[in-house]
Amino acid sequence: MPPLELLLQQALNGVMLGVMYALIAVGFTLFFGVLDVIHFSHGDIFMLGAFAGLSALLGLKAAGVAGAALALPLAFAAAMLVTGLVGVAAERVCVKPLARSSPLMTLLATLSLGLVLRESVLIFYPRGADPKPFPQLLPQGGVEVGGVAIRYENLAILAIGFAAMIAVDRIINRTRMGAAIRAVAQDPEAAQMMGVNLDRTVDATFFLGSALAAVAGILSGLYYSEIHFIMGITGGVIGFSAAAIGGLGNVYGAIVGGLLFGVLQTTAAALIPRGSEFRDVVAFAVVMLFLVFKPSGILGEKSVERV
Amino acid sequence: MALVLVWAAELAVFALVVAGILAERPLPLAATGLAIVAAAVGLRLRPGLRRALVAAFVAHRRAALAGGALLALALPLALRASPYWTFVAALALLYVTIGQGLNLQIGTAGVLNLAGAAFAGLGGYSVGLLTVTAGWPAWLAVLAAPWVAVIVGTLLFVPILKTRGHYLALVTIAFVFIFNILMNNFEFTGGPQGIKNIPTLRLFGWPFTAKPSLLGVELPAHANFYYAALVMASLTTLVLRRLHDSWLGLTLNTLRDDEIAARCCGVSITRGKLLAFCIGNFFIGLGGALYAVMVGFVSPPDFDFGYSLVMLSVIIIGGVDSIPGVVLGACLLLPLPERFRFLHEYRLLLYGLVIVVMLLYRPQGLWPAAIRRYR
Repeated sequence: MPPLELLLQQALNGVMLGVMYALIAVGFTLFFGVLDVIHFSHGDIFMLGAFAGLSALLGLKAAGVAGAALALPLAFAAAMLVTGLVGVAAERVCVKPLARSSPLMTLLATLSLGLVLRESVLIFYPRGADPKPFPQLLPQGGVEVGGVAIRYENLAILAIGFAAMIAVDRIINRTRMGAAIRAVAQDPEAAQMMGVNLDRTVDATFFLGSALAAVAGILSGLYYSEIHFIMGITGGVIGFSAAAIGGLGNVYGAIVGGLLFGVLQTTAAALIPRGSEFRDVVAFAVVMLFLVFKPSGILGEKSVERV
Repeated sequence: MALVLVWAAELAVFALVVAGILAERPLPLAATGLAIVAAAVGLRLRPGLRRALVAAFVAHRRAALAGGALLALALPLALRASPYWTFVAALALLYVTIGQGLNLQIGTAGVLNLAGAAFAGLGGYSVGLLTVTAGWPAWLAVLAAPWVAVIVGTLLFVPILKTRGHYLALVTIAFVFIFNILMNNFEFTGGPQGIKNIPTLRLFGWPFTAKPSLLGVELPAHANFYYAALVMASLTTLVLRRLHDSWLGLTLNTLRDDEIAARCCGVSITRGKLLAFCIGNFFIGLGGALYAVMVGFVSPPDFDFGYSLVMLSVIIIGGVDSIPGVVLGACLLLPLPERFRFLHEYRLLLYGLVIVVMLLYRPQGLWPAAIRRYR
């Protein structure tokens, strides 16, 4: 049994990863809520967010904007705008036209769209096949509390991640658009009869979810100091897994699921010999078990189909 | 008269395909391109001709099949100058086998399987382990390997088959990733290097690396595998055609279309889905097994998620639940990118775009499934 400090350390790292996963998972769950679809290219929109953020940072650096305090918020804003628009475009082209046909169709269309996004970055981004170094803009250094090393950088990532989650919570629960999103998730037809503009609400949902993916993308770049065009595949699968564990359609479930997945990964890495290679195997295995025994997720509603 | 029309049409398609593959210099290339465009436009503009062709094919089904079989047998003769294209043709036939298996799962039974690459990989790796580590003869390993895919699939998926579309998609995707990570990290599978030096097939003392000769013409060694894959693909297609037309195929269709209604009619969902899943995995694993002996080695990147998408595209392009569609899809999708090598970099991008466009504008595929006919 490894010492307690190691476990605590791993739990902390797990929460850090979990925050990023949760931000991706919230997108999956929001989209599922309004349109009942799984938007599989979401992982690649996460990747696109990282690349948009990197480009913005490089552009700002070239323009002479020094200092993380100014450059980073601007980069976040730019990346969120880019992915938000791409997300809405993806929804209009690939998701909504197929939403009424079988789930297989949307699944395939969005999987293929993800492939297109991935390959576009590979081909059209300068030297897109190589991993790109991501500038380290967060404060370095750290403190040690009871044998657990806490780096300022990680604290900043946690803070940004949780700020984004609180913002989502506010948008969904306190704004008119949020009320519209909730209404459409409950019953699209009834929402329309109450004067909710369905198309605009769906657009807004996809903008919001995709913008969150950009936040996750930049955070991931800051955390690993590196981004790569294939990061969206694992990012997407993990995000979807997290949303499924939490219960598709439930925003808080997605957050819990994301954190759980992150902690699972890091504890697996700590507890199992050669665990860092097998951590995803363990995490996915747990996801499979979850779906067997609790298919509606932690916070999902149990659905009963009536004929 | 109609018989002549059938054979002439088949011969024309054969000639266009061979010319399309082999034409290299600008003039023949342009001529072939023009001929293909002319044929397409001609069929479009002359509905009378099109109807006559369809009627002739319907009336002389057996003759058409025999002619097609003869031409498929003759293809290596036409491609004998190019071992590479013989290989590609064999690969396309492997994808026919794999695609038929996957089509039974996704198209007929509606069991979404995005782990095609992993099940093909289970077949391929089993062949590698059985021959290299356990010393089995290759043909026995190829026959045994698909069962590994079936057994692993059954063990892992029995509990999950009851869950619906989205979750099954997630679990199968996760399975591809797990398979890849495990193959990359296990010692006994050779890690990232995979398994090398898989012995080639040997039938009645005839090694598949020797160059066969047909009608006195020497063919490239890959022609052996072409014929093996042709036999396999034809048998698979025949078996699954019969299965699709049987009561079982109809049962699986009802499962796909409305689970609740199917249950009300006394169809067991778990049993039907499991049956389709196992039979499909058998053929996917068989394709992977033959791939392993054909190429001579297996490694993790040969079976990653991207290949699952290629297998899916075969079905989508051909037509979901359409048996001839799968054949058409595999024979188009595998060779075309090889032909346009200058587009190699953009290959996957184009795959993705083609599938999106197909799904939006022609979701039934190039050769849509026919409505069941009962006589």
